[in-house]
Amino acid sequence: FKDDLSTSPQLFTPMSPYDVDLPIQTTEDVLFGSQFNQPKELPTDFSSVDLSFLPDITQDNKEQNLFEDGHEMQKELDGSTSNEDSSILTDESSLAYPDASQATEASGVCPPLTPMAPMTPVTPASESSGIVPQLQNIVSTVNLACKLDLKNIALRARNAEYNPKRFAAVIMRIREPRTTALIFSSGKMVCTGAKSEEQSRLAARKYARVVQKLGFPAKFLDFKIQNMVGSCDVRFPIRLEGLVLTHQQFSSYEPELFPGLIYRMVKPRIVLLIFVSGKVVLTGAKERSEIYEAFESIYPILKGFKKAS
Amino acid sequence: MAARGSCPGCGSAALVEDSHYAQQQLVCAACGCVLAEGLLTTTYAEEEHLREVAYSQSTGQKEQLSRCLQRGIRRVQDLCKVLQLPTVFEETAVSYVQRALQHPSFHLVSLEKKELLGGCCVFVTCRQHNWPLTMGTICSLLYAKQELFASVYLSLQKELGLSVPALSLADLVKTHLNSFRLFQHAADIPAPFVENKEKVVARTMQIVELASETWLVTGRHPIPIVTAAAFLSWQSLQPAARLACTLARFCKLAGVDLPPPAHLRLKELLEILLRMASQLAWLRVFNMDKKTVVKHIGDLLQHRIFLLKNAFCPEDEEEQRAAAPGEASPGSPGAAGGAAQGEGCPSGGKRRPLLPPCLINPRKRLRTAAPSASDSAITGEEPISDSEIEQYLRGPEEIRAFRKAQAW
Repeated sequence: FKDDLSTSPQLFTPMSPYDVDLPIQTTEDVLFGSQFNQPKELPTDFSSVDLSFLPDITQDNKEQNLFEDGHEMQKELDGSTSNEDSSILTDESSLAYPDASQATEASGVCPPLTPMAPMTPVTPASESSGIVPQLQNIVSTVNLACKLDLKNIALRARNAEYNPKRFAAVIMRIREPRTTALIFSSGKMVCTGAKSEEQSRLAARKYARVVQKLGFPAKFLDFKIQNMVGSCDVRFPIRLEGLVLTHQQFSSYEPELFPGLIYRMVKPRIVLLIFVSGKVVLTGAKERSEIYEAFESIYPILKGFKKAS
Repeated sequence: MAARGSCPGCGSAALVEDSHYAQQQLVCAACGCVLAEGLLTTTYAEEEHLREVAYSQSTGQKEQLSRCLQRGIRRVQDLCKVLQLPTVFEETAVSYVQRALQHPSFHLVSLEKKELLGGCCVFVTCRQHNWPLTMGTICSLLYAKQELFASVYLSLQKELGLSVPALSLADLVKTHLNSFRLFQHAADIPAPFVENKEKVVARTMQIVELASETWLVTGRHPIPIVTAAAFLSWQSLQPAARLACTLARFCKLAGVDLPPPAHLRLKELLEILLRMASQLAWLRVFNMDKKTVVKHIGDLLQHRIFLLKNAFCPEDEEEQRAAAPGEASPGSPGAAGGAAQGEGCPSGGKRRPLLPPCLINPRKRLRTAAPSASDSAITGEEPISDSEIEQYLRGPEEIRAFRKAQAW
């Protein structure tokens, strides 16, 4: 079962929407409000709509404000990493993340950013559920760009554990933000457990700092959010057997295997775990807006199953 | 056309295949000596004439199939025979196995998983034809671990894009009860325990339907529910003799496994039945408990629609706090409609909302506080103080001590 909720490093375009959360709540409302104008046209019953032709969400609608964000990026990097950053960028991108569009966008400045959708103030549509999914876990990767001696790190750091027979990476944890990192000898690092994109970035920087203080010339290249997990509660029980009948092409409900229904939404490409208690877990997102959009799409469908027999 | 070899008579190499009438002969062109005659083209002879016949070319049908595929197909055929499935199923399952094993994502899968692919294809075929086969059955036939089977099944479903309809509980009841041994007299089964199969099946179906209406089935493994329902229906058909029998003993006599969750399902079913019994006028005078309610299951099932409506308040209406015991009249739902979306009912109330058990008895969970405002103000770009990082580094004495202890 490939969908691993916590660590599923998928190769995708980079994204750093750290400018989203600054004007905090209003942006979120605006976001899923503006994204949400669509459901008026969307049928609530997906089974009648052929969505197979829709592509995944790509860079197309996100290539705005690249340059101004690019400037902000310069300040963030600790140490003298910014110069190497730009030159190594194209190499790194071709090595690790085979997305052609990324390499071309690298305007020699910084990893291209994918800011959120334009913030035209829009009042949320009236069908809005009023429920906002909470982010529970963010998985991100970053390249420290130097070979690491894991045994050495495990010896000299208090918060590290290393068991080469079990797993070929050092497991490091920090308290604030409360996260865990897997650090590999190649210099690549996975950071999990943060509750927001900014926290994930801050945590990753702290890990990089620890590695630097241990004497390695660590950099901070290609920070990317790979997966976001959110959860929420619709507050009413759901007839999963009914849902799997009407949305068969998207749902998989096997009570012998797992008590929840696995709904693979096409647009946005998110996997939802729906439970009989009304709790919903959304995963597979690269951006916060995908989670909100997915929830707003599923909410009317679930409401349809509220009044049971 | 010259053949190979040399003539034993004159040593010439000019051998010709000629035919005398219809008989093929190998003749020396120089001296006329006949070397061989009556050669029928048999495989052996072909080989004698140094023409190698490869194994894959000689066995016509299987020539295109790899060994792995052959094994998979044979596994599917064996399973279909054991389960006594119609031939249509076998053909479909074989086609699935062929598609699966030729799919790139299954090429490099471990042998153990390939073994399970055949079972998964049979399982999918059965489900698509609404043949109630459980994963547990297939796993036990393949001696497979259920987690491994689950992962193979899910990836098969995803890669081949198969749509698998849900398991039909009604069919499952019939199939599962077929394996129970209590429908015929046997040496180890006391006489009053033997029961008519149709009656048990019919009543079990009704109880399972009741369970599914009252949220006991969604999200749960189906077999324990069927087992518990079968037990209750069997008991209720002759309560006098059977009330003393426990679920465990029932399963042993019936010759089926007792799945661990069955006890919990039984408890939940009895609780539902007790609540329904409290609404039945002629039962209200009795003090029902979980033993005595079994005697009245027949009546309860007969009037279940009415009883369910009265015994449980609708999910999104608030319970009236002041409901006097025994006075929950059918007309009150309208009056009880409150603004608040109350799901909980006061424990002393007569009616409780019809909700899944996980909502009625929520497990106490430590909830971490919702992200506070200070968390949201993080930009990700804050400066990181040295002291904060240094708390994570060991001092030199500590390192020395650690090295000694570790003996790296």
